[in-house]
Amino acid sequence: MTRARLSSQPLRHLQDRIATALITAGGIGVLLAVLGIGVFLLWEAAPLLLDEELGSLSMLTPLAWGTLKAALMALLFALPLALGAAAYSAFFMSPRLRSRIKPTLEMMEAIPGVVVGFIAGMVLAPWVERHLASTLVVIVWLPLSAGLAGMLWHLASRHWQRRLPLSWAALWLIPWLVAMGMLALWSTPLVEQALWGGDLRRYLYDAFGLDYMTRNALIVGLAMGFAVIPSVYSLAEDALNEVPRPLMEGAQALGASRWQAVIKVALAAAGPGLFSAVMIGAGRAVGETMIVLMASSNTALLSASPFEGMRTMAAAIAIELPEATVGGVTYRMLVLAALVLFLFTFFVNTLAEVVRQRLRRRYQRMGGGA
Amino acid sequence: MTWLKNALQQGVWPWLCAGSVALSLLMLGALLALLLTRGLGHFWPAALTEVTLNSGDVVAGEAVRDMPLPDQSGSERLYFTGNRDLDDARWRWVATDAIARQAQPENLLRLERRTWGDFIGYLEAVEVNGERFTGDDAWQQVQQALSLPTAQRARYQLTLRTPQGQTLRQSLATVISAEAPNAMHLGEKLGAWGSDVWQFLSQGPRAANTGGGVWPAIFGTMLMVIVMSVIVTPFGVLAAIYLNEIAHQGPLTRLVRVGVRNLAGVPSIVYGVFGLGVFVYGIGGSLDEWFFADALPSPTFGTGGLLWASLTLALLTLPVVIVATEEGLARIPDAQREGAVALGATRLEMLTRVVLPMATPAMLTGVILAVARAAGEVAPLMLVGVAKLAPQMPLDGEFPYLHLERKFMHLGYHLFDTAFHGEDVQAAIPLVYATALLLVLIVLVLNLTAILLRHHLRRQRGSEC
Repeated sequence: MTRARLSSQPLRHLQDRIATALITAGGIGVLLAVLGIGVFLLWEAAPLLLDEELGSLSMLTPLAWGTLKAALMALLFALPLALGAAAYSAFFMSPRLRSRIKPTLEMMEAIPGVVVGFIAGMVLAPWVERHLASTLVVIVWLPLSAGLAGMLWHLASRHWQRRLPLSWAALWLIPWLVAMGMLALWSTPLVEQALWGGDLRRYLYDAFGLDYMTRNALIVGLAMGFAVIPSVYSLAEDALNEVPRPLMEGAQALGASRWQAVIKVALAAAGPGLFSAVMIGAGRAVGETMIVLMASSNTALLSASPFEGMRTMAAAIAIELPEATVGGVTYRMLVLAALVLFLFTFFVNTLAEVVRQRLRRRYQRMGGGA
Repeated sequence: MTWLKNALQQGVWPWLCAGSVALSLLMLGALLALLLTRGLGHFWPAALTEVTLNSGDVVAGEAVRDMPLPDQSGSERLYFTGNRDLDDARWRWVATDAIARQAQPENLLRLERRTWGDFIGYLEAVEVNGERFTGDDAWQQVQQALSLPTAQRARYQLTLRTPQGQTLRQSLATVISAEAPNAMHLGEKLGAWGSDVWQFLSQGPRAANTGGGVWPAIFGTMLMVIVMSVIVTPFGVLAAIYLNEIAHQGPLTRLVRVGVRNLAGVPSIVYGVFGLGVFVYGIGGSLDEWFFADALPSPTFGTGGLLWASLTLALLTLPVVIVATEEGLARIPDAQREGAVALGATRLEMLTRVVLPMATPAMLTGVILAVARAAGEVAPLMLVGVAKLAPQMPLDGEFPYLHLERKFMHLGYHLFDTAFHGEDVQAAIPLVYATALLLVLIVLVLNLTAILLRHHLRRQRGSEC
């Protein structure tokens, strides 16, 4: 009976077959098109690689150096902040606050690079140029002052510790940091006089031969660090938050303090997750275009000084490719730069993904998530 | 030693971690506050000051900012003085020590003109049809006349006097708006502020991006994003359905999934290179040879344009849509699918009647996230079709109405171009702030919508499962 009815509706089944075939074709087509990016880049850059005149590859050296320098500066600034923030919000923050703060910080990721680059290049860079000493003092003093706040809190009476609990410390610290920043700005002339003879830039030039450019690696590091923080934070926080609670509780039951449990147990357990978060951050920092374009001087220099600019591969592509003649050496070289970026980020992301999947399986063995 | 260790473990280290959260929030807040105050503050009718210097010189204009002198002996103040046609400069630095007197006369005017930028000074007289008005009457005549269409305004001849005493005759037809900010009360200022904001949103740029608005850029961004969504939605959903519902779930599928996920992390500029090489030079070049051969060597499709930009961004955002849709599909319990099939539905019917309706919010989330990403992305557009100033809108009344081959303006690129390649960057900066604020608002609102939608979806699913 059923069979008879089904066969009496050949149209439905035909439709189904056709639709399945279409979806399959469409799906595979899309996936191929997406994966075709690598093939295209390889195809276009191949003549350069096979060519005899490998000398032209040396044009890439300053670009690769610039890319590495920019990414390193960004990570230097972003990693301590992002990982510290992740550790705090996974283990110390009150859940109510966490449910507000985490989406807010993740929202930072959505701020377009061109806006961050504009602020960095047009507002931050001129300010830092005029107040280099203040900037350095603030950068050193703010973390110290947060630590000082912790020390004061530790020394304070029980009453005050309860009034200002650690679980809301992220909020208490905002006015404190603002005040400390003000203090740092106010005291800068004294510090500058005492340490660097009144003019930091002249001191840097005299003592180390360092030139100062308005748009430099320091600015790029700050701006790109700002852009990298949210992605590293988000992934690291997830990894730390998924550490099975019994592990932490066991460590504390055996006499470890909360901080010891975080360092010795949680960081060890979530290590691969943190590694993959750092990798994703590195991938982002290497490929970011607009921020580098707007906040660095875009001069291809081979210098390690944080006060000089650089030109990264991504910025070089954005500036030079529209003018390059198709098939010329510059064109192929820029495509090669794109290929390098593509392979690097693809490799790094795959590594991160594999590590993360391993980690998830490990957590399941250890006692099934939080 | 133990005391120090305790202090470090219980006080210092955790508070340092808390400090990094606080610092991140502070930076985010500072960025948004800066954009808000500078972006919106620019439209507020600022007071005009007339300054008499010790030397007897007179400067009138809007005080912009104070800066300490390099040798720390005092400070100097920057004034926006306008009148570029008369003294060849729009800005003037004045040492604060050199100021003898300051005043804010109520009849000091600021006229926005079509050429030469703003005029700051006094209105001496208005002549219309042989009649001559002076003083308050003149100002009333001007205010009435400004609501007339431009053609009729040409009858009005203004006699203007600069603070330095030069006189200038100007037709009212060249004046866009006039205000006396020192005489305005709060309500009038609010009104002027609102109309300036509206002008910013609804008009095209003027005077080398130092005046006017960003409407063509808003329009170009919107149109590009719409064309992109039309392309990316069906393909992204198709790929997700294939991956999740039809493909055999083996190691290969898993590999493809990891690959797609990773493409979301590939730098956007790489997509730009792909778009330029394949779409513009490859496909566009061939299209030109086949269909637009008579227009060669000037390219039609063989150069950057709306279509190629949308396609490139569609490719860029494809992983976002695929991942979000797949997430939604994976959340649907298998019992639903099995139930549908058990009741005699074919796979197509099962997909279209049961699975897809349940996954709609997830798809929508994906598309919104894709749009948010595309709206803020600038780097690939620089390669595939954005223009500094597009002479023609890509959408107009001429057949075929939507001109996919035309270049278009984009908010993000407009921002970049104005801030870094403008003629008078100083004068354009306030508008750049406003543009940046607009861009951030658009992107944040889109992202918030996606987050709320996803949150809503999770709660709904949570009660069902």
